Amino acid sequence: MSTPQSQVSPSAELRARVLAAARAEPVAPRAVGALRSALAITGGVAVSAAILMSIGGPGGYGRPSGYYVTLAVLWLGVGVAGAWAGVVRGRSMLGRAVSLRALVVVLVPVALVLTALVAGLAVPPYVKATGMHEHLRCVMFTVLMAAGPLAALLFVRRGSDPVAPRITGAALGTVAGAIGGLGIELRCSHAGLFHVFVGHIVPVVALALFGALVAGRVVAVRAAALAPRWRG
Amino acid sequence: MAWLIVAGAPARDAFASRGRSVGVAERAEVDVAMERYAAGDDAAYAKVYDTLAPRLFGYLVRQTRETARAEDILQQTLLQIHRARSSFIPGAEVMPWAFAIARRLVVDSVRRGRRELLSSDGEPDPGVSKDAGADEIAQARQLARRLELALSKLPPAQRVAFELVKNEGLSMAEAAQVLGTTVAAVKLRAHRAYEALRHALGEGIDGVEGGR
Repeated sequence: MSTPQSQVSPSAELRARVLAAARAEPVAPRAVGALRSALAITGGVAVSAAILMSIGGPGGYGRPSGYYVTLAVLWLGVGVAGAWAGVVRGRSMLGRAVSLRALVVVLVPVALVLTALVAGLAVPPYVKATGMHEHLRCVMFTVLMAAGPLAALLFVRRGSDPVAPRITGAALGTVAGAIGGLGIELRCSHAGLFHVFVGHIVPVVALALFGALVAGRVVAVRAAALAPRWRG
Repeated sequence: MAWLIVAGAPARDAFASRGRSVGVAERAEVDVAMERYAAGDDAAYAKVYDTLAPRLFGYLVRQTRETARAEDILQQTLLQIHRARSSFIPGAEVMPWAFAIARRLVVDSVRRGRRELLSSDGEPDPGVSKDAGADEIAQARQLARRLELALSKLPPAQRVAFELVKNEGLSMAEAAQVLGTTVAAVKLRAHRAYEALRHALGEGIDGVEGGR
């Protein structure tokens, strides 16, 4: 092994190689990147909205409007807070503290359960009998409505996390799950706490696990495959 | 170990000051250059390279003990930075981010099993000035070897925290970001590393502890 430790600068040839590789693989400036990210997020949410409209759009289905408006507003608040803490990077390219992102993964599902409890307290009790079919229907639509936002968030954060990509991926899955959950919450005809937990919270947790799983390949910074001509 | 002794100064002085010697101007320079690059100035990437490459290369050589591999990872790191042009956050600091990418790529490289870290059979370079006497050079080389050995015996978490703060000149907060942990944890690891090194080297590194 050769270790010329007295050499403290990389070779001039490497400089030429890196600059040539960068020229050969142009990357758009930030303004274009921001536009692409905005389009991706808008597109992801639009897919969720389209799915919601395809099953009839928002509707109370006989639920007290106070319950479902309260739940939707609180749910949205939790989702926005989760996105701020777990998705938006703040002023650092390394994002917010890893512990904060981990808290998003843990606390958002808990907060969503609490919103259902609070909404239940805000209006007269409203519990409609539910069965496995109703639970599975909401699980399926939560996942479907979260798919677009999750794909968009993964696109925006692709190859961006060199420190804790799996935790970031879990946070992305959680936030996408909250968005999907909000969509189906606007349509769901069941207000029982057990149904909210099984039909609406469990899929959020599942999406967090999925996000953590795929983040190792999508969100993580990984050695890129270089074209042979750029290899030393 | 080029940072161990410079220009005939006592080892402890050089060791203690190295971490604080990273110029504020250098950081500002690379932040400004990256900002210009993200804003659309293609030529600014050369400036980003020129400011970052020597710092990262020194770190990578120390981590990999192999120039060719260090160059490979440096190339990858700088291309990752290039690819992040469209998502660079206005006002973000480049240095800790660049170190975090480099560190990740080193870890991945080790995981791929190409070779083990810190398994150097090379002679540590004490970085002694050409004007130094023979005794000074020999003494410096001996201390460099002892320090390298002591560093290699530290738990990886302590060694990395110590190197980022003392060797690469990152602040405690920046090192915490790079390592994905808290400032308190970095302080504790660096302190424990310092204590272990002090125990191993005696008084040779007095005055090292501290940091931003």
